[in-house]
Amino acid sequence: MIAVLAVHAVVALACAALGRRLGRHVLLVGALAPASSLVWLATGPSPTEKISWLPAVGLDLELRLDGFGTLMVALVGGIGVLVFLYAWHYFGERPRLVLFTSYLVGFAGAMFGVVVADNLLVLYLFWELTSIASYLLIGFEDEEGVARSAALQALLVTTLGGLAMLAGLVMLAQSAGTYSLSGLLGGPPTGPTVAPALVLVLLGAFTKSAQFPFHFWLPGAMTAPTPVSAYLHSATMVKAGIYLVARLAPAFAGLHEWWRPLVCGVGVVTMIWSGWRATFQTDLKLILAQGTVSQLGFIMALVGLGLPEATFAGVAMILAHAVFKAALFMVAGIVDHEAGTRDIRRLGDLGRSMPVAAAVAVVAAASMVGLPPLLGFVTKETALASLLSEAGWPATIAVAAGSILTTAYALRFLAGGFTRYATDDREIVVDEAHSPAAGFVAGPVLLAIVTIVAGVFPRLVDGLVAGAAGALGSEGHHLALWHGFNVPLLLSAAAIAGGWLLWRYPPRAVQEAAARLPRAKMVYASAIVALNRIADRVTSIVQNGSLPIYLGVIVATAVIGPGVILTRAFRLPESLIIAENSIQAVTALLVCVAAIGTANVKRRLGAVLFLSAVGYGVAVLFVIQGAPDLALTQMLIETLTLGLFVLVLHHLPTHFENIGWRLRQASRLILSILTGVTAGAFALWAAASRQAAPLSGEYLTRSQPEGGGANVVNVILTDFRAYDTLGEITVLTVVALGAAALILTGRGRSEVPHNDEELVGQKGGDDR
Amino acid sequence: MTPLLPVIVPFGAAAISLALGRRHALRRSLGVLALVANLVASVLLLQEVRDGSVVTVVVGDWPAPIGISVVVDLFSAIMLSVASLMLLAVFVYAIGSSRTDDTTLFFHPVYLLLASGVSASFVTGDLFNLFVAFEMTLVCSYVLITLGGSKPQVRHGTTYVVISLLASTLFVTAVGLVYAATGTVNMADLAVKLQAIDPALREALSVLFLVVFGIKAAIFPLFFWLPDSYPTAAAPVTAIFAGLLTKVGVYAIVRSQTLLFSQDTHSTLLLATAALTMTVGVLGAIAQDDVKRILSFHIVSQIGYMIFGLGLFTVAGLAATVFYVVHHILIKTTLFMVGGLIEERTGTAALRRLGGMLHTSPFLAALFLIPALSLAGVPPLSGFVAKLTLIQSGLEVGAYMTVSVALFVSILTLFSMTKIWAGVFWGAPEAPPPMPEGLESSRPRFPPLMVGSTAALVAASLLFVVAAAPLYQLGQRAAEFLFEPAQYVEAVLGP
Amino acid sequence: MIDRSLILQMTADVIIRTAAVFALFLLFRGHNAPGGGFVAGLVVVSGLVIRLVASGRVRARQSLPAPPATIMGLGLALALATGIAGWVWGDAFLEAAKVTLDVPLLGEMHMTSALLFDIGVFMVVIGVGTALVLALAETENGP
Repeated sequence: MIAVLAVHAVVALACAALGRRLGRHVLLVGALAPASSLVWLATGPSPTEKISWLPAVGLDLELRLDGFGTLMVALVGGIGVLVFLYAWHYFGERPRLVLFTSYLVGFAGAMFGVVVADNLLVLYLFWELTSIASYLLIGFEDEEGVARSAALQALLVTTLGGLAMLAGLVMLAQSAGTYSLSGLLGGPPTGPTVAPALVLVLLGAFTKSAQFPFHFWLPGAMTAPTPVSAYLHSATMVKAGIYLVARLAPAFAGLHEWWRPLVCGVGVVTMIWSGWRATFQTDLKLILAQGTVSQLGFIMALVGLGLPEATFAGVAMILAHAVFKAALFMVAGIVDHEAGTRDIRRLGDLGRSMPVAAAVAVVAAASMVGLPPLLGFVTKETALASLLSEAGWPATIAVAAGSILTTAYALRFLAGGFTRYATDDREIVVDEAHSPAAGFVAGPVLLAIVTIVAGVFPRLVDGLVAGAAGALGSEGHHLALWHGFNVPLLLSAAAIAGGWLLWRYPPRAVQEAAARLPRAKMVYASAIVALNRIADRVTSIVQNGSLPIYLGVIVATAVIGPGVILTRAFRLPESLIIAENSIQAVTALLVCVAAIGTANVKRRLGAVLFLSAVGYGVAVLFVIQGAPDLALTQMLIETLTLGLFVLVLHHLPTHFENIGWRLRQASRLILSILTGVTAGAFALWAAASRQAAPLSGEYLTRSQPEGGGANVVNVILTDFRAYDTLGEITVLTVVALGAAALILTGRGRSEVPHNDEELVGQKGGDDR
Repeated sequence: MTPLLPVIVPFGAAAISLALGRRHALRRSLGVLALVANLVASVLLLQEVRDGSVVTVVVGDWPAPIGISVVVDLFSAIMLSVASLMLLAVFVYAIGSSRTDDTTLFFHPVYLLLASGVSASFVTGDLFNLFVAFEMTLVCSYVLITLGGSKPQVRHGTTYVVISLLASTLFVTAVGLVYAATGTVNMADLAVKLQAIDPALREALSVLFLVVFGIKAAIFPLFFWLPDSYPTAAAPVTAIFAGLLTKVGVYAIVRSQTLLFSQDTHSTLLLATAALTMTVGVLGAIAQDDVKRILSFHIVSQIGYMIFGLGLFTVAGLAATVFYVVHHILIKTTLFMVGGLIEERTGTAALRRLGGMLHTSPFLAALFLIPALSLAGVPPLSGFVAKLTLIQSGLEVGAYMTVSVALFVSILTLFSMTKIWAGVFWGAPEAPPPMPEGLESSRPRFPPLMVGSTAALVAASLLFVVAAAPLYQLGQRAAEFLFEPAQYVEAVLGP
Repeated sequence: MIDRSLILQMTADVIIRTAAVFALFLLFRGHNAPGGGFVAGLVVVSGLVIRLVASGRVRARQSLPAPPATIMGLGLALALATGIAGWVWGDAFLEAAKVTLDVPLLGEMHMTSALLFDIGVFMVVIGVGTALVLALAETENGP
């Protein structure tokens, strides 16, 4: 299995890197990848493989092939090969086929991975990769805005479900104590988190398999080239959700009483709603897309029961549906390709120009409707019988009602594309087309033959289907063409008759009424709009570009955070010394006054002078505390700063701009006071609660004997903490470089500071 | 191996580079050489501490609390290694870039000093020295962010500088308060002495440091400066800032919360902060229509994930954080490098003026797609593995709210990545605006050094996926040691 | 520039020389008494400001032995080299070595290699100060 995955990866990369010169034939190279999985399947491979990856979190490449996996691999590989061959004709010569091939091969590999993964996380991994491949493929015609938004829509919906599923899978695995899928199913966990986990996983399955109300992305995805629709969006990828539910249902459906109503309910609603919508589409592909959603709902309802007979029927339906729906999509693509439109209001009577394609369409549609002796008939009879015996009448009736719709839209598809059947909105413009090349119809023809042969001789596929069902715990069921005259047959016949009536006499009023119902697609669209609006709103509030507000918020956070704790626990220290002597008190007072002055004065120069007064005042405090070094440094720095300020002030307006708006000023004032009070209280509190002797004592005692200097400040700077000083002089250097460069650039002599002779000397040492 | 080498080597190279003046070729080789040596030294250190030992020296050979301790444990060594890899890659990238080449005289020395400062932040065992190291990185970032000195750069640079100055003031105040309360600034010493003080005071200090480092890490509500200032800088500068600087803040948060304030776990506070940071950041990204601005907001959003792991206060959670940080540094740097390539190629990063590059530059598209999907957590890329470990550890302790937010933000991340993809790589190719005068003819449209270094990092991120097990194991061990501060303390202060 | 007062220039010369000597004095005694490389550097910068006022930017720049960036780079390198020397010949980075020198005029001096480090600081401060002052001066006066 790992080898097959590797082949896919290599083919995808090789096509991307080297495929350009092959032209459209790159698609044939691409076909090698799905072919390899068929070849591998034929060699009778070993059922399990494992590569250790990240065992600590349960993420190991554990792969396992059982009967169900075999069926799925056969579909992914078989239809894959046909799709590549079909695409080879479909595209003809055009650019970008290299990308298309790589995406499609990548998808085939990922889908293969989904159905052989035996590790929940690996399953998720491939699951998401199929979503990404689907995104890239739907958006293949990337100049079209429609394609881009459809791609995004599909991606978002399936990824939303996928992420929910990831959470669910992790929760399940944590309850079960294993990330192995077979381990999980072998001993289904119980516990409070299992039910929510299963709901999350189902969310993933429902979005992926386009179940109501997440179904809308699939019709949207029809903007993809038709080979993609045939492959991903009908035959394989959209079956992933069904695949997962089919795996889980036998183990969990019986343990949770909500499971069957939920899953079958969703399935049936999907079947009927989308089936209904399919009956009045005008685009051949959209009829098929809505029909696909409807059929997916049908299969979901079957496999969701988790009961043996229904599971068997569901698995058979997966096969039958993949075969006839892929054929139908391919025919729709051929019509589009040869006639230039898919609109059934303009198309008509193509049966004459492309009889083979029309015949395929008839066979495939008949299989979809459930006419004997086709595969679709065999499986539908089995399905109805299983519902009758295992789920009771309500579900059976609902599905039969859904079948009426199936018949109706199948007729609409056939009549719309291949007959002159007249309706009021129809004005046939295109009634002739090129006859498609033999190779183009070869794939659909083959699928139609399979539909017929497997219907007449169900034994041919019975092994595959029974094996698949057996892997899901459903033993002893077999396909048969004829079950005798029984209730399912009656129901089928009634559904076909009803469908014909519905198609022949469409209830316009009901259609129009239904069209006015709120649609999930609209919900999605408004969600995206709302998301963008919220994002804009939130961003314009938090990111308003105002520096004072940024600063205010930061200061407020810094004050409020510790401040809250402070107000709870603050006590004034017992021996509070306000000032040690009067000079200290006076200086401190002056510093405070100067600080207030700085904030209030209107002229810039005044503010600078007040600020200097603060600085000099602090220097005086240093002197009083017996730190002449610090005082000296502070004095010099203040003087230089003052000088620099004076130089700079020339370039600035003499007055500060008026802040205006009293509220803003008041809030600044309050914030400043709060900050000062908090900082002061914090400092008192911190100093009062010191238990240990400070390091300064050590510095004092060691300075002379060990540091070799009597000036402890200097010894600290150049010895004890010289490492800090090294950093600080670096800071100075960089500041000087940056400031000087900016000043010189700011003079506007040039964009780039070439005028740096000031700093590095004359040009000449330039060895460029 | 002395833990100081990653500080000294780029420092020395910077000093020489500065004195070299205009000898550009020499400066370039010197820088590359120094950063290679830096990488080697970091990896050797990592090798040395991977068994859990702690390498420590005291600068100036003074006994521990008197001199400045320099300490490398596993967490530091991991950060050092990944940082030095980025520093090297971005330096090479910068040599190729038109905005940071020889015309800007101070780029080389200042960049090297930045490297030195970043290393110094990771290896220091002293709170005040951490402040100095922060200052070093900050002043270098001031210079780099305004490199070129265009008007918007200076305007947004001002925001950055002013807020950073405020942060520095708060930091030095906080260090002062800690010294007032304990009489020491040695972190190992503090780990012991902070236990003795009033618990409420310790809690208040803990929150204060969270704010101080939170500004640097750009968590909610302290992140405003980042999206305003980063996008205007030159591409190599933004790349290295995006990769490293906020992560230095995250490092400091993790270090302080586990070593200094291990007693007080602000789990709820951190988880709430994490959730808000993720959400507000990603919403900001959605609101943008410029590649670099989108990516800048994602930095914020992603920081939330790292805080999330820490906020769980479990080994698994912290391991996930370490793992996530490494992944993020790698991916974010790469994405900005790709952004720079787009800009280099087209002269703009505005989505509405771009389009169709998938067809004109498919290789660049691949270079973008891989890290972009990784950022959104798409499997099997590094972001998936990192996010998975976070989700797992979150679910393990029942942090359902934060996990839900994290997952939902993932999809929003994917949404905004597709916005870039659809805007830049899909659609009809726009006619690129004319290149600035003089750049048109003289430069290749894709300078090989820029593309090469970007591709190398993309390859490294893929390697990250393959080698996830040993890397995760490192992260896990680092997390275990972070929760065992006694070992750190003993290594520094002696038994 | 031409009509700058000769007296001012000569006074400035005297002040600068005095400042330089005073700076050296501060630098060398720094380990034992108030002073040190940082303060000494600031004093030199103050002297340069006076030279700038007296004789203009060009002369002020010429009175420096090297461009500011080079002075800064060498200062950083010296400080770092002291550190590395402590590591090579001692036990640790930035470990200070003590020597006793017999210096003429000043007599026997206890010196530590920390002084070399301080000289590095001194040079950096000079470089920084002059770079800023010269840059600002250029915006003031034009070339």
